[in-house]
Amino acid sequence: MLDKYLLFFTHDILANSTVIVTLLPIFIIIYRKAYVDPTFRLLLIYLIIKLVLDVMMFHFATFRINNLMLYNISVVVRYTLLSGMFLYKFENPLLKKIIIPLSIAFIIFSSWDIWISNPNIAHINEHRIVKYATTLEALLMILWTLIYFYELIRSLKIPSLLTFPFFWVCSGLLVYYSSLIFISPALNYSMRWETMFAIGYLDRVLYMFDIIIMLLFSLGTWVFSARFYARH
Amino acid sequence: MQDIEQMRWAILIGTLAMLMMAFFVIAFVLFYQKRRFAEEKKLSEIEKNHGRLLLDTALHSEENERRRIAQDLHDDIGTMLSLTKLSLNQLNKAMTDRDEKEELFMKKAQSLVEETILHVRRITRELVPTTLERFGLTEAIYEFIHKLAEGNTLSISFQPGTEELPRVGQKIELAVYRIMQELVNNAIKHANCTKIDVILEMNNQFIGLQVADNGIGFDPVTIKEQHLTGLGLLGIESRLAILHGTVQYSKSGNGGSTAKILIPIDTEILSGKPEPLHPFRRERVNI
Repeated sequence: MLDKYLLFFTHDILANSTVIVTLLPIFIIIYRKAYVDPTFRLLLIYLIIKLVLDVMMFHFATFRINNLMLYNISVVVRYTLLSGMFLYKFENPLLKKIIIPLSIAFIIFSSWDIWISNPNIAHINEHRIVKYATTLEALLMILWTLIYFYELIRSLKIPSLLTFPFFWVCSGLLVYYSSLIFISPALNYSMRWETMFAIGYLDRVLYMFDIIIMLLFSLGTWVFSARFYARH
Repeated sequence: MQDIEQMRWAILIGTLAMLMMAFFVIAFVLFYQKRRFAEEKKLSEIEKNHGRLLLDTALHSEENERRRIAQDLHDDIGTMLSLTKLSLNQLNKAMTDRDEKEELFMKKAQSLVEETILHVRRITRELVPTTLERFGLTEAIYEFIHKLAEGNTLSISFQPGTEELPRVGQKIELAVYRIMQELVNNAIKHANCTKIDVILEMNNQFIGLQVADNGIGFDPVTIKEQHLTGLGLLGIESRLAILHGTVQYSKSGNGGSTAKILIPIDTEILSGKPEPLHPFRRERVNI
């Protein structure tokens, strides 16, 4: 069994490395005690869920089982938890108010998207990636990040952004979702048993930026100091 | 097949454009924030300097006003009182045959004029510390303490750090003297103390003043939080702000309070001659 895992891992090192890289920010969050901040606590929860889902997807992929249902679930979890971080960071009360209803709306929309993207939902091998939810998720996350950057500039509360942990988290989110926004609509057509549209090398971009976002999360968490947490 | 290839290129170009935008936004936020902080810092520095200048001007005006009052007292009232005293002496000599009652009135009038002259002289000296200008901080503090001890039962001691303290410029000397005056007066008025110790120390970089009493003491944090800071303490802080000095209040070992003042000495001021502080010199007015 271990041989199969190793064989599958070496078959596509870049794609499978994303599973291992997730361990880095998890370890740093725990090591730097960044979980004292509710934002990073939420990030830690997301990373742990992501790791579990990634490991399950890796296992399914090793045994040639369609794992796209897990990917669809990860889209919902990813948006809900990552957008939840802004709930603690936004200063505008109106923005704080709309984050939770939008997350609920996104869950409903994604569920509907899963339903319409999978006409044969009971058949596991026929599962496909959602058509619109990933694009909507990318749009919303880019919007939240840009609004947060705007608030950050206006408030002038952080003297040095390079040592501000959430700046790196937001940078990671912005870069990751910018890479995802144009590729995600094509994923539904490319990730099928009978490929209708092969995106080819473009799927590498997603894996690369999946690693980059984890590195930026790690960097943000590394500059986090539990001692000075109250100041931020 | 060609359509798929075109689609791939379109996606790639779109993704690259989005990534460029993302990196541009991140770089913009970093640089813009840095620039705004630099501007804010500059602005706050200007405001701080302006505030310091205003304080300096206010204190300078106060000192000038003191000089003017002292000069008026000395030149006008002092002269008139001297003339009154002279006239009374002449009258005393002129009136040869007078009864006991008239003699008593004359003596009383003379003594009142004498006393008033002394009072005016004391007030004038209090308004402008001439000893400070002539002999420096040590002598001025000795004189102030000596005068206070005359009318009070409390014991006031003064320890200058060295035998002869070098002159450090009128501005610093006057500030230290006024702060010392305020702290000692505060201790007498509010601390209910029986002993006050004044220590003055100086090195090449700093001039330090310590005023300690054995009174009831006070908590400066509570006073600040409850906005109970009086004009005296605010005046001390204002004088120190102009000279980049600091004040630290603490509880003394004997139960009272201690105020420690530290003022950096500008080497340029130290090397130059102190500007004379003449009590009765009017400011030159250019018309």
